[in-house]
Amino acid sequence: MNAGRVYAIAARKFASLRRDKRMFGFIVLMPAIQILLFGIAIGQAPTGLDFAVIDESNNGFGTLIIDELHESESLVIHTDHATITEARYAIAEGELWGALLIPENGSFELHLDNSNQQISSTIIVEVRNAMSEVLSAGGGSVPLELAEPVYGQKDPAFIDFLAPGIMTMVCYLFSLILTTMAFVGERYDGTLDRIFATGTKPSEVLVGHLSAFTTILVGQVAVVILIATLGFDITIEGSVLLLFVLAMLLGWSAMCFGLFISSMAKSEFQAMQINMPIMFPVLLLSGILWPVQALPTWIKPLSWVLPTTWTAEAFRSIMLRGWGLESSAVQMAFAYNIAFALFALFIASRSLKVQE
Amino acid sequence: MEGDAASIAGDEVSVGEVAISVTGLVRGYGKVRVLEGLDMRVESGSIYGLLGPSGCGKTTLLKVLLGRLVPAAGEVSVLGSLPGSPGSRVPGGAVGYSPQELALYEDLSIRETFLFHGRLHGMGAEVIRERESWLIDFLDLPEPSRQVTRMSGGQKRRVSLAIALLHEPELLLLDEPTVGVDPELRARVWDHLATIAAQGTTVIVTTHYIDEASKADRVGMMRFGVLLAEASPTVVMESQSATSLEEAFLALCRRDSGGGV
Repeated sequence: MNAGRVYAIAARKFASLRRDKRMFGFIVLMPAIQILLFGIAIGQAPTGLDFAVIDESNNGFGTLIIDELHESESLVIHTDHATITEARYAIAEGELWGALLIPENGSFELHLDNSNQQISSTIIVEVRNAMSEVLSAGGGSVPLELAEPVYGQKDPAFIDFLAPGIMTMVCYLFSLILTTMAFVGERYDGTLDRIFATGTKPSEVLVGHLSAFTTILVGQVAVVILIATLGFDITIEGSVLLLFVLAMLLGWSAMCFGLFISSMAKSEFQAMQINMPIMFPVLLLSGILWPVQALPTWIKPLSWVLPTTWTAEAFRSIMLRGWGLESSAVQMAFAYNIAFALFALFIASRSLKVQE
Repeated sequence: MEGDAASIAGDEVSVGEVAISVTGLVRGYGKVRVLEGLDMRVESGSIYGLLGPSGCGKTTLLKVLLGRLVPAAGEVSVLGSLPGSPGSRVPGGAVGYSPQELALYEDLSIRETFLFHGRLHGMGAEVIRERESWLIDFLDLPEPSRQVTRMSGGQKRRVSLAIALLHEPELLLLDEPTVGVDPELRARVWDHLATIAAQGTTVIVTTHYIDEASKADRVGMMRFGVLLAEASPTVVMESQSATSLEEAFLALCRRDSGGGV
């Protein structure tokens, strides 16, 4: 090994890197932003959780517990449900995440929507804290019983919480990667010039690409769902067909966005450079690893812009709550994906100009 | 013979209509100006040879004629209208284009390539198959199942030319179609171009093989974004008292640079 020659290679490469300011930003800023986002998005306690308390006790403890719970930063307390049955109905409709029954005597009952394990954990902690604050002061303790949950298992498995989100992520990412580089090269090697010379329109090019990729998408979604259900026995309470269709819609959203990147990027490498910083934030902000209810208010709008957020939520509702097309969560996911896909396609066809 | 180089345009365009007319065309990329007020006239049913060194703007000019680039200034009329304007026949099936880069899909076979371009032109499968046979024979191409990536540079160049000829268009814009092609085949190509020109096709060929262009009906000699001369090869040579087009071009360049004859 000759030091002089190694130096020549290194110096040349450094000169090239220095010219590429975007690469520098990429290498230096991206990890910083990702870690920052991670700290912001993950691990905080969720807020704004609607929670009911039904106080059937005749002593003052009930009121004290309710007061204590009002102090909680995570819970929004409702006391206007008359019976636990009423409250359970509200939970089933998605209006509440849980309800606490304080009986005349005996253990307190905690009824939960267990479709989101992190939210359930937060609620349990808040309730236990409130109880120990109040009851230890007065001496003695009362057991807290976890009633049969409205949705999900009594002892929810982490995989059931994670599965809908990860499936969202997989469908989105791979569709995006497929199409991001779909025709970047063709814009510069003359093949697109030739296509436009025939009078073909950009929209025809885009829809043609989309159609070809859709055949792959069908296989991809089928494999993901099959492996999840047959391979790992993941819970799907609702309709598998609905899941399949929604996953295809998400795939199309991702592909249209990828086509948009394809129509703008100056090289295949640049297309990847745009893609990579997108992956991590999508994972962090879509409620895949951690509930969106835990995001700081100022960053929540960013989460709502992502089709993955709506889809992950709908997947969770379909898989763990057995909800269907009649629920607004699922409807929103359908509508948003369709709108997002059409918008991305529209912008892409404007960027891919026949005439410059 | 001193005289404004641009006035060497003999052989008044006699009978035929004008297929392409360009006046004062200006166009560049970003800050770089490429075409600097170019004038050009191409008669229908003729071969027009566009000559000039790399970087003089030949490809840019072709892209304007195709409607791929918008003129910054000047008038352009191709087959009767501004390319890319509503109702214009360009871009469209009236044009056949062979770009300077090969512009081929490496992973497709010859057959798949022809199918693709044929379909874009709305040609039926049978018609495409017929043309495929003829083109393979005429241009000495390998078997239809051969993948582009498995061909030599010259063969690829011929496939690229074949694509432009596939749908038998009215106007052919060929950018350096014979690079890497052996002289015998090059002669065959030019003969065929002469035949279809006689039948009414308008052909523009850019090349830097200057002597090849002596087979054209008219040549345009391009330098730094304008035409130094536009006339039949004979007239251009006579105007510079040259015995070959190459000689004539060199003389014109020297004159253009301000040097003596």
